[in-house]
Amino acid sequence: MTNALAWARAHSMALAGVLAVLFLVWLAVAPSTRDLFPQTLANGITFGLLLALASVGLSLVYGTTGLSNFAHGEQVTLGMVLTFVFHTMLFRDMLPSSMSDLSLIISGTLAVLIAASTGWIQDWGLWGRLRARGIGVVQQMIVSIGLSLAMLNIIQYFIGGERLRLDRKIRIPYDLGIIGIKPQAAASIIISLIALGAVAYFLLKTRLGRATRAVSDNPALASASGIAVNHIVRLSWVFATGLAALGGILLALYEEGFAFNSGGRILLLMFAAVTLGGLGQAFGALAGALVIGIVSEVSTLFMPPDLRYATALGILILVLLIRPQGILGRAERVG
Amino acid sequence: MDLLIDTLQQLFSPLTAAFAIAAIGLNVHFGLTGLLNMGHAGFMLIGAYGYAIATIQGAPIWLAVIISLAGAGLFALLLGWPTLKLRGDYLAIVTIAAAEMVRLVGRTQALEPWTGASTGITGKEYKEPFEATSPFPERLIPVGPFELHGTASSSWWLTLVSWSVVALLIVLYWLLQRSPWGRVLRGIREDEDAVRSLGKNVYSFKMQALVLGGMIGALGGVSYALGAQVHPDSMGRPTTFLIWTLLLLGGAASVFGPALGSMLFLATQFLVKGVLDVFVPDDIVSAPQAETISLAFVGITLMLLIIFRPQGILGKRRELAING
Repeated sequence: MTNALAWARAHSMALAGVLAVLFLVWLAVAPSTRDLFPQTLANGITFGLLLALASVGLSLVYGTTGLSNFAHGEQVTLGMVLTFVFHTMLFRDMLPSSMSDLSLIISGTLAVLIAASTGWIQDWGLWGRLRARGIGVVQQMIVSIGLSLAMLNIIQYFIGGERLRLDRKIRIPYDLGIIGIKPQAAASIIISLIALGAVAYFLLKTRLGRATRAVSDNPALASASGIAVNHIVRLSWVFATGLAALGGILLALYEEGFAFNSGGRILLLMFAAVTLGGLGQAFGALAGALVIGIVSEVSTLFMPPDLRYATALGILILVLLIRPQGILGRAERVG
Repeated sequence: MDLLIDTLQQLFSPLTAAFAIAAIGLNVHFGLTGLLNMGHAGFMLIGAYGYAIATIQGAPIWLAVIISLAGAGLFALLLGWPTLKLRGDYLAIVTIAAAEMVRLVGRTQALEPWTGASTGITGKEYKEPFEATSPFPERLIPVGPFELHGTASSSWWLTLVSWSVVALLIVLYWLLQRSPWGRVLRGIREDEDAVRSLGKNVYSFKMQALVLGGMIGALGGVSYALGAQVHPDSMGRPTTFLIWTLLLLGGAASVFGPALGSMLFLATQFLVKGVLDVFVPDDIVSAPQAETISLAFVGITLMLLIIFRPQGILGKRRELAING
């Protein structure tokens, strides 16, 4: 038993990959699921991409400060709420009705900028001060839990409990043969790919990005080599909250609606994505989010649909069992 | 005046007792051993489901309680197995995810005949056997300014039983934390490697603490269910965070902290809601909005406590495992 487990651990990624591919192939050819399979897979990839966008920030903040930020879900909701407010209460009436898409774009851009500034404000007013007082990461994590609960309820206080729609237009899906894709989903995919590409470029090719990765790797060493760690952390917060808002807006468009708890509901899926990919690895979040997205959608073929988030969380626990460092994380002794 | 009496009544209500029991369970996890269990509501929910479903299937009370304890114990074993060897924040993420899974499984339509899906299980389906044991008459009984029913639901009988359980658990916790076993757990909280170097099996001790605290959490769930109903959404993440707030307010790692924190905080929360309800007109703050404000108040209290007074009212700062 122990030998088998050790062997599975050593070859876990190859093993899990082969099993997952075999299972997907089986779903693709089995008569009962064959017809629905392409569409659910496409949905899963779309959801995974949007989840990746929303969770990259969680990973950035974790990487640079060690904080598991439980209020990240509310940052996602904040993007949705701000866009809704600007779009339905401000710009849509200022512009002629034929230009409501333009209003949505302006509102979304403004919402992302404002959300990003909340990241700056939070790090300036709260997290930076806690770090300066030498308050540990677990204590900070509990602070973020309190903040999450407070923000969730403040948002609910203002927008109520109903489901709201960002975009009231009825749009006809594009028909691509075996799958259909809605225009807002297609736009969301393109925007998220561009944004994820920009994040990758930033992290790999720019000086600031390299500095960010250096801080993630070893803050003390980065500081000793002349990197202004606090500036990098501040920058991570701005990116994290901005990207969370962008991910939220695209999710609200893709799912054709949102509520006060939309971000909170996917918080655990974001954690799952980040943990799966390896805590603190920015590209790990992308890999993890795709796995989570595909698992949660494809599982609806053989499980009750209302259990699809539960299935994804189950996968998280399973992966931690055989590969605690995640898909892309490095193996190290953690306890 | 009514509001004041209701608030005082909240101090010793069965609901407060249920949360005090749950907080004692969390105190075994966090206060004694330093485990970051962020899914305590999941243990409560398993306890509540276990008791309700077993009773509906015809089990006597003692068997139903054992089933709910066994369910929570099994859940703790499953959770602890992959995570107790990992860093603390992994346990936090896995417990919160697992508690969410319990809630989602409880909600699913596929299990509707047992769990009632998203509507839950109403009290009258499972409360009867417990209420049949009540020695009090079946009518409203005034005691001083307070008035409760003798047997039904949140009754004097349930108040008596659940606070007796709280008292027993406080004694149990006091005995445990000064026993050799409890000293090992405190050692793990302070310095895991030191305890390991003394030849103790840290993994096994942590597992025992996780199972014991989880079972106490399940008892809290049973006691909650006897006063209200079993509803998956009433035991989601906010409930876990509420229990953390209660524990940190009273003082983690202290003997009376969990009970004191529950009494003070739940009464204050009730008072906040009541004041908003009575003195602020409905068109400014409606009843559901008063509810959200009182929950935002939980969040803000949690933030302020952990930043400025992490040891709470009764705890000792040096006994706090929070940065271990």
